Amino acid sequence: MTSTSTPLAGTPAPPRTRPSFLRRLWWSDTLAGWAFISPTVLLIGLFGLVPVVWAFVLSFEHNDLISPGRWVGLDNYRKLLHDPQFANSVRNTVVYTLVFVPVCVVGALVVAAALNRRVRGITFYRVAVFVPVVTSTVATATMFGWLLDPDFGLVNAALGKVGVASQGFFRDPHEALMSIVVMTVWGWLGFGVIIYLAALQSVSADLLEAAAMDGCTRWRAFWRVEVPLLAPATLFLVIWLTINALQLFDEIFVTTKGGPVGSTTVVVYYLYVQAFQFFNGGYASAIAYVLFLAILAVTTVQLAVGRRFSYGGR
Amino acid sequence: MASRLRRASALAVGVTAALCLAACSGSSSSSATSTTSASSGGVVQITLSHGYTDVEAKAITAQVATWNSSHPLIQVKLVFNGGNDGALQKTLAGLAAGSMPDIAYEYGSSMAALAGRPQVLDLSSRVKDPSFNWDDFYSFERDAATSKSKVYGVPALVDNLALVYNKKLFDAAGVSYPTDTWTWDDFRAAAKKLTNADQKQYGWAYVADGSEDTTWRWLAMLWQAGGDLLNASGTQSAFNSPAGLRATQLLHDMAVSDKSVYLDQGNGNYLNLFNSGKIAMLWTGPWDLSSINSDVSYGAQILPAAAAVHSSIAGPDNWMVFNNGTAREKAAWTFLTWLTSAQTHGAFTLATGDLPTRASETKLDSYTAYLAKYPGDAVFVLNLTNVTKARPNSTTYPQVSQAIGSQMQGVLIGQSSPQDALNAAAQQADSALAAGP
Repeated sequence: MTSTSTPLAGTPAPPRTRPSFLRRLWWSDTLAGWAFISPTVLLIGLFGLVPVVWAFVLSFEHNDLISPGRWVGLDNYRKLLHDPQFANSVRNTVVYTLVFVPVCVVGALVVAAALNRRVRGITFYRVAVFVPVVTSTVATATMFGWLLDPDFGLVNAALGKVGVASQGFFRDPHEALMSIVVMTVWGWLGFGVIIYLAALQSVSADLLEAAAMDGCTRWRAFWRVEVPLLAPATLFLVIWLTINALQLFDEIFVTTKGGPVGSTTVVVYYLYVQAFQFFNGGYASAIAYVLFLAILAVTTVQLAVGRRFSYGGR
Repeated sequence: MASRLRRASALAVGVTAALCLAACSGSSSSSATSTTSASSGGVVQITLSHGYTDVEAKAITAQVATWNSSHPLIQVKLVFNGGNDGALQKTLAGLAAGSMPDIAYEYGSSMAALAGRPQVLDLSSRVKDPSFNWDDFYSFERDAATSKSKVYGVPALVDNLALVYNKKLFDAAGVSYPTDTWTWDDFRAAAKKLTNADQKQYGWAYVADGSEDTTWRWLAMLWQAGGDLLNASGTQSAFNSPAGLRATQLLHDMAVSDKSVYLDQGNGNYLNLFNSGKIAMLWTGPWDLSSINSDVSYGAQILPAAAAVHSSIAGPDNWMVFNNGTAREKAAWTFLTWLTSAQTHGAFTLATGDLPTRASETKLDSYTAYLAKYPGDAVFVLNLTNVTKARPNSTTYPQVSQAIGSQMQGVLIGQSSPQDALNAAAQQADSALAAGP
C-alpha cells in the first residue's frame, strides 16, 4: 500500500523504492550527453585513435605496409639504438628546436609589444605579421628556396652589395639547418605575436598605472610587470612551438630533402624516408613512437617547470 | 515531459548518425565493387589511371576517345592520378583498400614494390603471344617490365639521358659543338671554357639534391667507365671500383676544382637557367625539350665516353594491369594491346615528342614527320641503343640509390673526397642489401 499523504511529524518517512539501473540510465543526463557526442567520438576514434594503436602494433613488426607483417618483437627499437642515421636525425632535430623556440618566443614578444599600440595602420601591420602563418609551408619553402639560391638568389645579391661573401645557405651543410630556422621563424612568428597580443591586452591597465605612479619607467614596467603576467602565454607558446619544432617536416621536404649530406635530416623526415621510400613500415612506426614518447616527456617537464613560474594558470 | 523528449531525440540523433556513417561507408565500398558487374548489355567499363599532363594528356584523351567510339563493347575511362610522383603511393593505398583501376601508369622503379602482389596481373603468357611482338620493345624496357622472370608491365614510356647544349653559348666561347666521339676530357675542357664566374655562367648543370636524380646521372658515368652497380646476383655492391672512382673523380674535378658545374637543388632551376643562357650543357631527357624556350637554339648529342663507351641510362615506365575479374582483365588487355601497338604509339609520339617504345615505330611512315617535328629527338632515339644496362628492380634499390646520391652530393659540394664517398656509399649499400627486403 503506497501512501501519498504527508507523514505525521515524528513518524519515519515511508520507504521509497529506488528506480532500476536501466531506468536511472534512461533518465540520466549522461546518456543524453553521450548520445549527442557519439558521432564525433566515433569519427575521432576511427581516424585518430585507431591509427595510433595500429602504428603501435606495426612498430613490433617487419612490415612493408602492403603485404602481411612479420612479428619481430623489440627488434625495430633495438635497431634504432644502433642506427647512426637516426642518431644524426635526433641531433639535428634537437639543435633545430633549441634554436627555433627561444628565437621565436623572444621575437614574438618583441613584435607583440611593438604592435600593442594604437598607431595609424596598426591593423595592416598586424595582418602583415600574421600572413606568413597562414601561407602554406610548401609555398613558403619554395619561395625561400629561390630567395636563398646561392648563385641567383636575392639574399646573396643583397649581401654582395654590402660586401659580404656569397653564402651557401641550403647548399652548405653548416648553414642549411640555420636557414631552415630562419624560414620557420618567419612562418611562425605571427602565431606567437597573436598569442602575446591577446595576453598583453589582458594585462590590467590599473597595474601599469600603479607602476607609473610609483615612478616606474615604461621600460621597467614592461619587464617587471607585464612580462611576468605573460607567463601563462609564454608557457603555452614554448610548449606548442617545441611540439611543432620536434615534428618539423614540410619545409625540409620541399627545400633540402634532408640534405646536404644529411645535415637537415630531422626525425620525421627520416621516418618518411623509411616508411615511404624504403617501405620499412615497422621501423618507421618505431621511430614515430620514440618521437611520441620524447615529446610526451619534454612536454611534461615543461609543464611542471612552467607551472612553478607562471601565475594565473592552473 | 520536456526531458523525456530530449532523451528520445538525443538517442534518435545518435542512432541516425551511426546509420548514416554505416550507409556512407557501405555505399562507397559497394560502388567500387559494383563496377565488376558493369557488364550491362555486354559492355565492359575499364579504368585507366595515368599522370599525363599538357600535351601528353591531350594526346591520350584523343586516343581513348577514338577507341571508345570504335569499340562500343569496351569503354575506357581515363582517370588522372594526381601526378606520377605520387602514383606508387596511390596505387598501394588502392591495393590496401581493394579498389584499383584496371590499367595504371607506373614508374619503372615502382616495379619492385608492385611485382608479385596478388592484385597485379602476371602478363608473361600474354606478352609471349606472337602477335604482340614482345621482342619489338627495346631490351632494357623488357628488363624494366620484368621481375623474377615474370612480366608485370608493358612499356608505356621510354627516355634516356643525352647531352643538350646551348649553341649560342658555344659560339660565343669559340668551342666546337659536342661530337659523338667526345671523351670525358673533351667534355671537361669544354665545360671549363664555357664557365664565366663574373657572368655567373656555368658549363654544366647537375642535380645535386641527393635523390635518385643525383644517382642516375652518376650511374651513367659509372657505366661509361665500364663499371657495374651491383654484382651479378645483386647481393653486394660493385661500384666501389676503379670505374666508380673515375666517375666520382670527374664529378669532383668539374664541380670542386674547375667550378664549372651549377648544382641544382632539385627544384628544376637548371632549366630556367638554361633558358636564360646561364648554363651551356645539360644531361637531360626528352621531357625537358618541350620546356626549352623557342629563342634558345639548342642541340643534342650522345653522352661523352670515359674512353669509348657512350653509355646512357633510361627510365622506362610501364602500364600495369590489375586483377578486377576476368571480364575486365580481358577487356583491359585488348585495349592495352591496341594502345601499345606500333601504330597507336607511333601516333602518340608524333603528337607529344615522346620516344618510340618499339623498334618498329622507326619504320613507320609517320616517323619522318616525327623527326621533322622534333629535331632533338633523333639523337635520343639513336641513344636508345646506348642503354645497355638497367637499374635493378629490387625493393632495396631505393636504399642503394639514397646511399650513392647522398655521398655524391657530398663530393659535389666539396665535403668529401671521392674515395671516402665511395667507401661510405658502398658500406651503406651493402648493409641495406644484406638486411634484405
